Amino acid sequence: MSYLLIENVNKTYNSTSVLHELNLEVMEGEMVTLLGPSGCGKSTLLRCISGLTDMDKGSVHLEGRNITPLAPKDRNVGMVFQSYALFPNMNVYDNIAFGLSMKKKSSQQIKSRVEEMLQLIDLTEKAKSYPHELSGGQQQRVSLARSLAVEPKLMLMDEPLSALDAKIRKHLRTELRQIQKRVGMTMLFVTHDQEEALTISDKICLMNQGRIVQTGSPDEVYSKPKDEFAARFIGSYNVLSGEELSMLLAEPAYSKSAGKYALRPEAIHVKQNSLGLQPTSTSSGSDAAAHICLGLVEEAVMLGNIIRYRIEANGVRLLADVLNGDQAMKFHEGDAVQIQFDRQACLPLAPSGT
Amino acid sequence: MKKGRAFPRVILTATLIYLLIPLLATLLYSVAKSWQNTILPESWTLGWFRDLFMDPRFTLSLWRTLWICFLSVGLSVVVMLPTIFIVVVYLPRLEKLLNVLVLIPYAAPGVVMAVGLIKLYSSGPVAIAGTMWILVGVYFVAVLPYMYQGIRNSMRTIRTIDLIEAAELLGASKLMAFRRIIVPNVLPGIRVSVLLSFSILFGEFVLANLLVGGQFETIQIYLYHRLSESGHLASAVVICYFLVILILSGILLALSGILGRQSTAASKKGSGQ
Repeated sequence: MSYLLIENVNKTYNSTSVLHELNLEVMEGEMVTLLGPSGCGKSTLLRCISGLTDMDKGSVHLEGRNITPLAPKDRNVGMVFQSYALFPNMNVYDNIAFGLSMKKKSSQQIKSRVEEMLQLIDLTEKAKSYPHELSGGQQQRVSLARSLAVEPKLMLMDEPLSALDAKIRKHLRTELRQIQKRVGMTMLFVTHDQEEALTISDKICLMNQGRIVQTGSPDEVYSKPKDEFAARFIGSYNVLSGEELSMLLAEPAYSKSAGKYALRPEAIHVKQNSLGLQPTSTSSGSDAAAHICLGLVEEAVMLGNIIRYRIEANGVRLLADVLNGDQAMKFHEGDAVQIQFDRQACLPLAPSGT
Repeated sequence: MKKGRAFPRVILTATLIYLLIPLLATLLYSVAKSWQNTILPESWTLGWFRDLFMDPRFTLSLWRTLWICFLSVGLSVVVMLPTIFIVVVYLPRLEKLLNVLVLIPYAAPGVVMAVGLIKLYSSGPVAIAGTMWILVGVYFVAVLPYMYQGIRNSMRTIRTIDLIEAAELLGASKLMAFRRIIVPNVLPGIRVSVLLSFSILFGEFVLANLLVGGQFETIQIYLYHRLSESGHLASAVVICYFLVILILSGILLALSGILGRQSTAASKKGSGQ
């Protein structure tokens, strides 16, 4: 049975539908990410679950109990904000203790719990510091500890890492995942950063225009995008129309297809034109499933560990990612190259919006 | 380099002299027995102050002014703090309206305001014209702009909505969140507004004179009445009320400092530290 169950949630702001008949299930102890572009309704969904925003229709069940009519303070749901929202008039210790004192815990209980939390986030020595004396990363850790201290049944995180710089963000997301696993906390994490979502999640819910487009493990969502939106959002997929694919493969069979196809940039192998291919010729090589053709490098972009080539092949533009390793494999603008990919790697996509 | 540093100092000193000379002259005049054609008074006396303190009208008017200022400013804080909080957090659409409302007393001249108010309150269900209560009401309106700006600005800088939501999710009621989180954080803003409002009301003459006049003599009305008697005496009055404002400001600053510490201490106590 699902731990968190969200059924048919609708939310409209000024006659614009922000959430549309949305359903979601989360298991206990799971880290689920709501991933989507800004304005897709992911933050609104979090606010509806926490009770900070009323929804027009639908229900939220937590541990089998309908929490829809409850006030935010009675839902037992914690939330970490992008802006940290630490109380400026209280030091770290008092910030973490705030929720516990609201729950009327004894001072001894509060003390031991706050100390435990401080150890968890590794900020014991900062207990007396005020929020403005801490770095952004430290503030966000305190914010997490403050929410964890009251042992909420569910933790909501609204783009908690977005305000931090890249290095701290990467470090903190690893730490966050470790803490989540250690505490066994059920978390719903909102982000627009696909890399962040892929790294920390048990399950990703890809959202677009108030709907969940695709749900699955990071691997599933990345390697089997369901529709064009998913393919474009989750990676740098080549999205080809049927006509483009038939041009690329020189097989007219696809040209009648109305649907689109996705081809991962790293599935395309770029080699030196050792077969002496001519612009129009294609070959299947030794492997029947492999497709080989000639391409022209239009652009090469260094992305660090990979080089991204924009290649024109049979009148179709493709992106191909190659590991930045072998010196002999580096090509430049204007180079003729041989590209090879598995026909099976061209994934048919469902039409968007279903 | 030296020149660059000297210039601001010259400006600062000149400004200080410009501001302090009238005060100093007033002080000298209030302790002078005779001061005709010399730079400094020819002879000194504390007689004017003695006269002043011997006059029961003076102490009475000082008390009245203090009392009415406390009442008006206190009422203003009690009404405006929750109002601004509610508008900022729950009814942001009303913010523009509130903005216009609080600016009206700025725009309306004192005489116009007074005549209108006398007309409105001289009869009907609340006939308070001529009593001190009309002055409390008017003073409440007069300090609205200062109260509003100070409190609203500090509420904006602390991201009030985020803080309230965070507190609510930690199990605090709205009232508790307001008391424990919002009030301590906007205290510096309230302090500035209160001080400003207080000193403005203390020196207010037009409204008091028109609305209550001789029936409720405030320090300014008293000053006006005795101005014609003797310049020395008037100077003594001015020095006195300057000192009162100075002391009051000191007390208010110290008090809000203590309050600020207390609210932190209270949360410490609550958290068992």
